[in-house]
Amino acid sequence: MNPINSNVLVMDPKEKPGIVVRRRWQQSLLTFLMVFGPGLIVMEADNDAGAVSTYVQAGGQYGLHLLWILLLLLPITYFVQEMVARLGIATGKGHAAMIYERFGKWWGRFSLFDLLVVNFLTLITEFAAISLALSAMGVSPWIAVPVSAVGLILLVITGSYLRWERTVIVLCLLDLTWFVLTALVHPKWTAVAYNTFVPNLPPGRITSDLIFLIIAIVGTTIAPWQLFFQQSCVAEKRLRFADLKWARLDTLIGATFTVLVAGAMMIIGNYGYQHGIPFRDPAQMAEALAPIAGHFVRNGILLLMVNAAVLGTTAISLASAWAYGEVRGWPHSLHKKIWEAPGFYSVYIGCVGLAAGIVLIPHMPLQLVIVSVQVFAGLILPSAIIFLQLLLNDRALLGDQWVNRPWNNWINWTIIVVLFALSLLLATQVMLPELFN
Amino acid sequence: MATMQNSYPSEYFRAIHPLEDAPEQKCETEGLGPIAMTPSARISLIVLRGYLILMTLMLVWHVLDMAGIFHKLN
Repeated sequence: MNPINSNVLVMDPKEKPGIVVRRRWQQSLLTFLMVFGPGLIVMEADNDAGAVSTYVQAGGQYGLHLLWILLLLLPITYFVQEMVARLGIATGKGHAAMIYERFGKWWGRFSLFDLLVVNFLTLITEFAAISLALSAMGVSPWIAVPVSAVGLILLVITGSYLRWERTVIVLCLLDLTWFVLTALVHPKWTAVAYNTFVPNLPPGRITSDLIFLIIAIVGTTIAPWQLFFQQSCVAEKRLRFADLKWARLDTLIGATFTVLVAGAMMIIGNYGYQHGIPFRDPAQMAEALAPIAGHFVRNGILLLMVNAAVLGTTAISLASAWAYGEVRGWPHSLHKKIWEAPGFYSVYIGCVGLAAGIVLIPHMPLQLVIVSVQVFAGLILPSAIIFLQLLLNDRALLGDQWVNRPWNNWINWTIIVVLFALSLLLATQVMLPELFN
Repeated sequence: MATMQNSYPSEYFRAIHPLEDAPEQKCETEGLGPIAMTPSARISLIVLRGYLILMTLMLVWHVLDMAGIFHKLN
């Protein structure tokens, strides 16, 4: 261990790298800002196109009644991602590499295969959202999709992790606009507060649609790629043991921000619900809201939908590229130029390019892709968390200092049991729908 | 009168970006072999393996069915 960043210096301040300050709090603040990034990105990128659709639909169908679920999901996402950050800092390696090294080739390849498939299907939905939103703004999909794909590729091939990270943080912060849109639709804040803190269900009987939507909200808020992404990102950024407290704060801020943005989306969906606007997707809702909420709200929703898809695409494609590079033993780093890590960049470019190409195929069965993503993600998430849990109890690897505490284990096994039950329910509901009719 | 000067060196704090800092020793997997598991954990993983294979096959079948592949074959 090398806790250099907490050193108190009594020497020439220009001798070493870094920024020299006179106060300890300044050092803490600067160190936090330097560490900040992976936690926010992994959480906010999870508010991708599918998430926008799910949250807006939840508000559009059931008003504010499901807001409390988001509050419940906040600690769950934090606990899961905190384990990922801890494992990444302790080992300096990605999640796929750890599964491969500690559980053998079968599990390593199976996890990688599942991850790549579900990630790729998700990417198709991201590009479909870009196409849908920009078409509503009058841009042809034949321009919108290829231009977005090229932009997403240019974002990573600069050979600088920091450049990519800073750009993506700016994109994450653009999601603050959701709060502006929420303020513009003037929700009843007492109702928002009540439905956030008091668990309740919509009036009427519990339908299979409602169960499906609740599972979709859970599955949207915690996705398998997040485990792989954040651990690889932490390893890529070379976070140190001393950075763990800042990485935890980063993750907590990311989780809180993401849940608040998700809540804002639900409130905007509720605005459509209150005005009796039926819609199948957020783009259709944005169009329908224009006459009553104004063109700023309409354009804001459409552009934020594109932003969500761009964020999701870059993070998900990177999760695939990092995982594949780790398992194959290829150089896999954004610090490297494209010719220094050709395999890693090929996976990223291949995923983005192929998904964009598929979306442009006429009459693509997108509904089929969306259902497959939801079920496949639901299937592999609990098992991915089981591996995380086992790795975080691996004393031979992590020693006593970094393994889970007993209370960590209690919380995490509870999360796993709940996710398994929901996953089984979702799989049964999709594959044997007659059981629920 | 000469100005009195503090003869003690000033105290500084340094914030170093993780990417600029010296690499630190991480927890290594080398020489550890596969993870140690209790028999019950091992059995649970075998059951999980079966569950995942079964569910994946069911999902593939369902997707092919939804895509109308079986209708075309018939």
